[in-house]
Amino acid sequence: MSKRKRAVFITVWILLMALILAAAFAVGSSGEKESIQAVMRDAVLHDSNKISLFGIKDVNPAVISALSVSGILLVFAAAVRIFVIPRFKMVPGKFQLILEELVGFFDNLAKTNSPHRNGLLGAYVFAAGAYVFVGTLFELFGLQVATTQGLHITLPAPLSDINGAIMLGCLSYLIILSGGIAGNGLKGIGKTLKDFSLPISMSFRLFGALLSGLLVTELVYYYLSLSFVLPVAVGVMFTLLHALIQTYVLTMLTALFYGEVSEPHKKEKTKKVKS
Amino acid sequence: MGVPLNIDWQQILLHLFNFLILAGGLYLLLYKPVKRFMDKRATYYKDMDNAANEKIAAAENTERQYADRLADVQEEIGQMKKKALEEAEQTAQAYLADANEQKCRIIQDAKKAAQAEKEKIMQEANAEIEGMVSAAMDKMLVSAGENSLDNFLDRAEKEE
Repeated sequence: MSKRKRAVFITVWILLMALILAAAFAVGSSGEKESIQAVMRDAVLHDSNKISLFGIKDVNPAVISALSVSGILLVFAAAVRIFVIPRFKMVPGKFQLILEELVGFFDNLAKTNSPHRNGLLGAYVFAAGAYVFVGTLFELFGLQVATTQGLHITLPAPLSDINGAIMLGCLSYLIILSGGIAGNGLKGIGKTLKDFSLPISMSFRLFGALLSGLLVTELVYYYLSLSFVLPVAVGVMFTLLHALIQTYVLTMLTALFYGEVSEPHKKEKTKKVKS
Repeated sequence: MGVPLNIDWQQILLHLFNFLILAGGLYLLLYKPVKRFMDKRATYYKDMDNAANEKIAAAENTERQYADRLADVQEEIGQMKKKALEEAEQTAQAYLADANEQKCRIIQDAKKAAQAEKEKIMQEANAEIEGMVSAAMDKMLVSAGENSLDNFLDRAEKEE
């Protein structure tokens, strides 16, 4: 590209940007506008913005997010199952390698933390990991939905809703409990119940981590002056980071506690040592 | 419902329902087939590894057998060499002994021949000396005459 052409291109580009910026200010925001306090409060409590679930019930936006995430993941999985897995080769290509690394990572996580019993655990941490990771990244897409009040909101991460976080935290605890029962029977139940605070800590860790991300993002996007350049770092980098961190933390903790409670009790060895 | 943070049990169950469908779907569509393929590949490479190990073991066994056989052959060669050396030495000793005997015989024959020659020469020399002495005696007798012979004979009688 010659110098003149480059100068023309840059001038046109700057003019276009200025025009769009002017138009944004001139048009203004449409309809009602919530205050930042209301936005923040709704992000935590979900008491005002509800979405109709196929006309059956008004639900929090996170339920719609959860359904969307599940839909996306299941369609992706079905496509992979139909088009990619039958063409798997002994020497893997790039995409096959990524899939194998993902499955291998969660499988190894289950095997290393719970060497005695890990079939269910591997499948569970894989699903939970995929759900947390994709669910957290889901807020980056900024899908818009209409609330029952006629407002347009962006779909949040499914786990930034306390109900979604409680579900995953408690389910993880139930999976750990099942491992305890399968591995040690009544003793396993006792071992699991000893960590009775685990479902609460797991739920609120997830909720807190994802909600904080949501609040920061809401805050940044609420003010026009913060909507340039900053979202690149705040929206993308923070979301990516806490998606990775929360996925690792939840799956690691579940695998760790599962391995601990499902480890068989060694009676014979202690007897031998005593004798 | 009066629950803090607007916790809604119905929505928790909705989330649970959604997640269980997702977990089941992901297990059947992604986790299980990929894991099965990985296990299949691991088994395939393990079988290959086992087959290679068996082949290596068989090759090592054959190598050991050949090494044993080679050692036997080398020992045999050594024994044959030793035997051949002994035989060669014996033959050489026999040749030497024969040569020595021959040498002694030749020397003896030569000595005998030389002795015979010497004796022959001595006999000839004696015969010659005798001839010369008798010739000299004849000459002396001729020159001294007959008296001398008589004197000599007398004196020889007296001395007796």
